[in-house]
This record gives sequence, C-alpha cells and structure tokens, in this order.
Amino acid sequence: MPQIPPQARAFLDALVAAPPLEWYLVVGALLFAIGAWGALVRRNAVVIFMCVELMINGVNLTLVAFADHLPNAGGLGVSYAVLVIAIAAAEIAVGLAIVLAVFRSRRTVNVDEVTSMRG
Amino acid sequence: MTVAFGFLTGMALVSALGVVLSRSVVHSALFMSGTFLAIAGFFVMLNAPALAAFQVLIYVGAVTVVILFGIMFTQRPQVRRYRTIINRQFWAGLFVAAGMGAFLSYVLWIEEWPSATAGNGPREVAAFGRDLLGVSPGSEIFVLLFEVASVLLLVAVVAAIVVSRRKSGGGIDRGVEE
Repeated sequence: MPQIPPQARAFLDALVAAPPLEWYLVVGALLFAIGAWGALVRRNAVVIFMCVELMINGVNLTLVAFADHLPNAGGLGVSYAVLVIAIAAAEIAVGLAIVLAVFRSRRTVNVDEVTSMRG
Repeated sequence: MTVAFGFLTGMALVSALGVVLSRSVVHSALFMSGTFLAIAGFFVMLNAPALAAFQVLIYVGAVTVVILFGIMFTQRPQVRRYRTIINRQFWAGLFVAAGMGAFLSYVLWIEEWPSATAGNGPREVAAFGRDLLGVSPGSEIFVLLFEVASVLLLVAVVAAIVVSRRKSGGGIDRGVEE
C-alpha cells in the first residue's frame, strides 16, 4: 500500500463524506427560484405547470433534507413529502383539465391571450 | 457522496434551466423529467429510497406522461422564437427570481443547525410505512392526512373528468363553439 500524503488523504475523505445539510437546502432554494422565474416569464400554460412542479420539487427536497438531518424531526418529513407528491399529482390533473377546457373554447393556451377575467 | 451530489446538482439545475429556456414544449417536458430523476437521486442520498421510488413512479412516469398528453392536445405548430414564448417580463422576472434565490440561499446558509447530522430519516421502508399510516408514536396526524389525501385524489379525478369532458349539446358556460 503506497503512502498517501495527508493532503490527498483529506481530499479523498472530503470526497466520500456526506454533504452537509446546507448544500441540499441551497439546491432546493435554487430549484424553487428557477421554477418561479419560469412561471413568471413563460407564456404557455403547460410550461407554467411544469415550472410549478419544479418549485414543488425544490420544496420537497428541502423537506426531505430536514427530515434526514434534524434528529427531532423523527423522519416525518418524508411522509409529508409523500402527501405533497399526491397533492401535486391532483393539481396537475385538474390543471391540465382546465387547460384543455380553455383550449377547447379559445383555441389557445397562451396565458397572455386568455384575458376575459381582466378587471 | 460529494461526487454524486455534484453530479445530481448539475443535472437538476441544468434541466430546470432547460425547462424554462427551451423553445420546444416537448423538450421542456423531457427536461422536467430529468430534474425529477435528479431529485429522486437526492432522495436516495437522503436515506429515503421508498420516496425515490414514488418520485420515479409518480413524477417521471405519471406526471410527465400526463403533461405530454396535454401538450399533444393543445399545441399547434408555432413559430419558435423567444419573443413568442417569453413575455415582456423576462429580465424583470430573472431579477426577481435571482434575488429570491439568493435571499433564500443566504438565509439557509447562515442559519446554523448545530444538531444536524445525516442519517436520521426512516431508513427502513417498514418504519416509513408506519409513519405514513400514523401507527408509530408521534405521527398520529397522518391518519387524518392520509384520509384527506385520498378524498382529495378522488375529488380531483372527478373534477378532471367533469372539466375536460366534451359536451355534446354545447354548453353556455364552457363556450364550446365548433
């Protein structure tokens, strides 16, 4: 077994170590921000739904990271994440049904053209 | 672990940017499934393999297929220019979203959780199932939440059928004119 210098040993230890809680939280926050950006700037209603799903997934990642890292959480965040997934599935079903109904009556899914409820 | 974390982070964020910025809606849907797969990898890293399986089944399978069906029904061939897919708030939206992401990241980064250590989640699927059914101590609320979620799914299925049904007589409220 060749001798490994301590710097390389520390580097290898850092590579195999579990990432800290903050990294997961930052990834979740960035996913949420990207999803919010897409929901703000896109015109297509289906793409807006996709971006909302991205935001939900960012929050789910945060929830599961907390459930795994905080000792008093008891791991219940994973169960809440299952409920969030179920509610998101219900939301996508109803939302796409509404988009289909709007498309059937207006022949468009562009949210800038569906303005009949504008005050 | 750090290598896997970096790979999954890159996959999730690049795919998320692909959802927002790709010109074809179908490409957006496929990028979205890439993000969901990366999130499933994160769930495996966080000791929740059953949740990762749910993520793959529900999101990568069901939600992506439903969205692709929605795209199939609603998209017409259209000009694929950025001006047609992105509204006038592009830079303002980027500013707001980047500010929000930076603020959230900053707050989550400076906050300290001194007792945070990895590996507190329910590693076993049996413990996870007992949590979800509200049997294990401390998770009694999940009895109620489980029932509410089931009722919500039933109502959502009925609502989806009713809203998207094609009326034969032509409804006033739905404005079907064909």
